[in-house]
Amino acid sequence: MYRKQVRRRRAVLALLIVASFVLLSVTYGTGSRGLQRGVSTIFSPVQSVADRALKPARDLVDWFDETFDAKGENSRLKAQLIVAREQAVAGQEALQENAQLRKLLELEASPALAASAFEQVTGRVIARSPTFWNSSLTIDLGDGDGVRVDDPVISGDGLVGRISSVGPGSAQVMLLTDHASAISAKVVPPGVQGAIKPEVGNPEDLILDFIDSTKEVRRGMTVVTAGWRAQSLASHFPAGLPIGEVTRASPVEQEASQQVHVRPYADLRNLDFVGVLTGGSR
Amino acid sequence: MILTPWIVVRIVAIAMLGVILQLSFFSQVELFHVNPDLLPALVVCLALLGGSTTGAVCGFAIGLFVDCLLVGALGISSLVLLGVGWSAGLVRERFEVHGLLTPALLCMGLTLAAELGFAVIHVLLGIDAPISPLIVRDMLLKSVYAFLLAFPIYLGVRRALRPALVEEPRLRRRREPTVLGA
Repeated sequence: MYRKQVRRRRAVLALLIVASFVLLSVTYGTGSRGLQRGVSTIFSPVQSVADRALKPARDLVDWFDETFDAKGENSRLKAQLIVAREQAVAGQEALQENAQLRKLLELEASPALAASAFEQVTGRVIARSPTFWNSSLTIDLGDGDGVRVDDPVISGDGLVGRISSVGPGSAQVMLLTDHASAISAKVVPPGVQGAIKPEVGNPEDLILDFIDSTKEVRRGMTVVTAGWRAQSLASHFPAGLPIGEVTRASPVEQEASQQVHVRPYADLRNLDFVGVLTGGSR
Repeated sequence: MILTPWIVVRIVAIAMLGVILQLSFFSQVELFHVNPDLLPALVVCLALLGGSTTGAVCGFAIGLFVDCLLVGALGISSLVLLGVGWSAGLVRERFEVHGLLTPALLCMGLTLAAELGFAVIHVLLGIDAPISPLIVRDMLLKSVYAFLLAFPIYLGVRRALRPALVEEPRLRRRREPTVLGA
């Protein structure tokens, strides 16, 4: 009797392990869209309600966390403020020059402003992946809102990621910090191009890889989306969306591995609302 | 554990509540830049009360539910959490589990094991990005949070499944007989 019970238990375990491997083999890279769409459709209203109900509790926990961070943040912000003041003065001059040059070159009519083709829809974050290996969010926008796979997702600070899958009432956002994420970007002003990739497990550090090591990239420079276009092909991202600023750019690393480190502008760990840019090139 | 249809319904409700809480609350809050992971601890508690088969089935189902809601590759969370459930169930079947410290320590250890399991599977499947050493800190902090979360989870799950527990000691102390007039 006992042996029979043990055999049955082992059979259940073996069956579950085999089922896991089969699911993994069948759905890895493609996903089981039917099943997942169904479950996601059923539970996204529940998640939405839970998200709203738990918001005060989340804010309370965040308040504790932010209090710990505030002390260190304060001194860093003071230093940044001094730099920002200097940049603001320089920026005013640059704006004047820019306006004159725009008028001169009539950039308004050129395809460089293709970003205006995008329309923004705002959504609420209703769930988040528990593991840093899959860095994703669920938002309460679906295909009925015009959201499509690969649409860029932004916050008030800059690029957040892109839509990885869409259901009727919810969509998944693959964050910049997901290991499968790679976005073409460039450093301004030098215009050095590369691919923004994450460093898994560190949400405050992105890597701008495959850059031209002959051009100098310095700390504090801004990284934006490259937004390339080649004949009928075009990037999913409009050009010039802010991604982050260069935090580490050692000449040795640039020469040896053709990469610099970038801190994203968007606070990817604390997102309540995001905007999806719909209607771009697909 | 005596599994009646009503108890199965309760387990399903606990699992669903746990997953919704994880995705809508715990994954979105951070303490020291790390968000707690409730699910391995929940699976450990279910396995400690139900045994290895119940633990494995619950782990598999909870993992599948999470993967479905996150629209990722199915099977990764199922595989890791079924391992967690099975291991916790084996501990329960081979040793006497008394008090709350053992479940809490098991939750801590098996959460760390689950994080390592996720890491191994993802590395085996291929990651086209460098891995930060900060993940070690994340793993350790997640297991510490699991230790702290284990107390309310274990008490809550045990209370919810009390009618099915065979060895549950009687909690209400019998009133001592008194002599009339004393």
